[in-house]
Amino acid sequence: MELLDPTVEQPAQAIDFAPRPKSLSGKRVALIENTKYNSDRLLEKIGDILKREHGVAEWKVFHKHNAGVPAHQEIIDEVKASYDLVVAGIGD
Amino acid sequence: MPSLLSKRHKVEDLDAVEFCFQQGWTDGLPVIPPTEDRVVAMLKAAGLEPNDHVGAIENRAVAVTAEKVALNAVMAGCRPEYMKVVVAAVQAICDPAWGYHGPGTSTGGAAVLMIVNGPVVRELDINSGDNLFGPGWRANATIGRALRLVMRNVAGSKPGLLDRGTLGHPGKLSYVIGENEVTSPWTPLHVERGFRKEQSTVTILAADAPHQFYNQLSNTAEGILTTCADDMRISGNVMGQPQYVLILAGEHMRTIAADGWTKAEIRKFVFEHTHNSHEHLKRTHRMAGAIQPGDDTRMRPLVAAPEDILVVAAGGEAGAFSAYIPGWASKRSSQAITKVVK
Repeated sequence: MELLDPTVEQPAQAIDFAPRPKSLSGKRVALIENTKYNSDRLLEKIGDILKREHGVAEWKVFHKHNAGVPAHQEIIDEVKASYDLVVAGIGD
Repeated sequence: MPSLLSKRHKVEDLDAVEFCFQQGWTDGLPVIPPTEDRVVAMLKAAGLEPNDHVGAIENRAVAVTAEKVALNAVMAGCRPEYMKVVVAAVQAICDPAWGYHGPGTSTGGAAVLMIVNGPVVRELDINSGDNLFGPGWRANATIGRALRLVMRNVAGSKPGLLDRGTLGHPGKLSYVIGENEVTSPWTPLHVERGFRKEQSTVTILAADAPHQFYNQLSNTAEGILTTCADDMRISGNVMGQPQYVLILAGEHMRTIAADGWTKAEIRKFVFEHTHNSHEHLKRTHRMAGAIQPGDDTRMRPLVAAPEDILVVAAGGEAGAFSAYIPGWASKRSSQAITKVVK
């Protein structure tokens, strides 16, 4: 008997990671919040620690539309234009 | 018809059903082995070519072809004439407003509730009566199963891997009902949602399990719906404001209709009687923060608007029971979607 395969063969995707900075000093950090309860508070604390202990210049929290979608284009555009690093966090 | 494009497997030393289990293609129940003749029959019944585009799930980077839908419909045990309903359901889960990546993966454990309307309900013998959510009807059992197999085999929602439902529920095997348009006194769901009565549609909602409520006492619309609202007020993701489906079965349907209530009036009443006080939500640890003066009269509705309660006439003619079904998570994350069965 010959059977047909009900799955899809996903083409392999190669993803390059951006090089890690040697130091956080003076960097601008984008914090991507996924709307889950308390995730904003957690990220704000992380932002404060990065500033206080690692010399980060500034941080800003960006809010996704909801937890099930990627960051929307406006977030990506602003982060690309004005930030050096991203921290994406979930609260659950 | 052009030849089928899927990878082929020769199965000689093993039972074909067992082979499907070994490949990880099934939902835990045996499947019909997907052979070429069966897949071709499925495509022909819907007038589709193998490579026809059915939909795409952007966040999963997945395109769904008619061939893959047909293959999974064969495995689910669908008759070829069910294929057009499965296709409409697949188009619905691909709609960005349904937001596949949430209900297709979430710990919240949503199933895909499918409500079928229009002539196709009678044509395909889709159950809208006795044992509404129970076994016994091939169309109900296999159409939803086919959709779930597409989610598993094409979109990658494998339980324990991408589908991380903490509890899930039995509706994740199949969760298909028809609306009872024959004896219902009300406007069918699809007509309320902007389609013509003679059109056939599928409405999907990412949904929790059904909650049955009892009212064997009241002979008024207000009495039955007061019980319903009291049962429903604290249910599902109380703070999320998801959409709800309210299923009104035979006896309750007749009692409510005898009082002259329309679906719009039912929605309005249930909406107005399912508010919770901030005091209650805080005291029961659903809303954050300490109780403040005035919280006992500060109210939060269960759903954002009356229109977020989808009223459906369905279920057995006898028995003073009905049910409500909380949608998954929140309307912000996933909305009910209606697609035409072509």
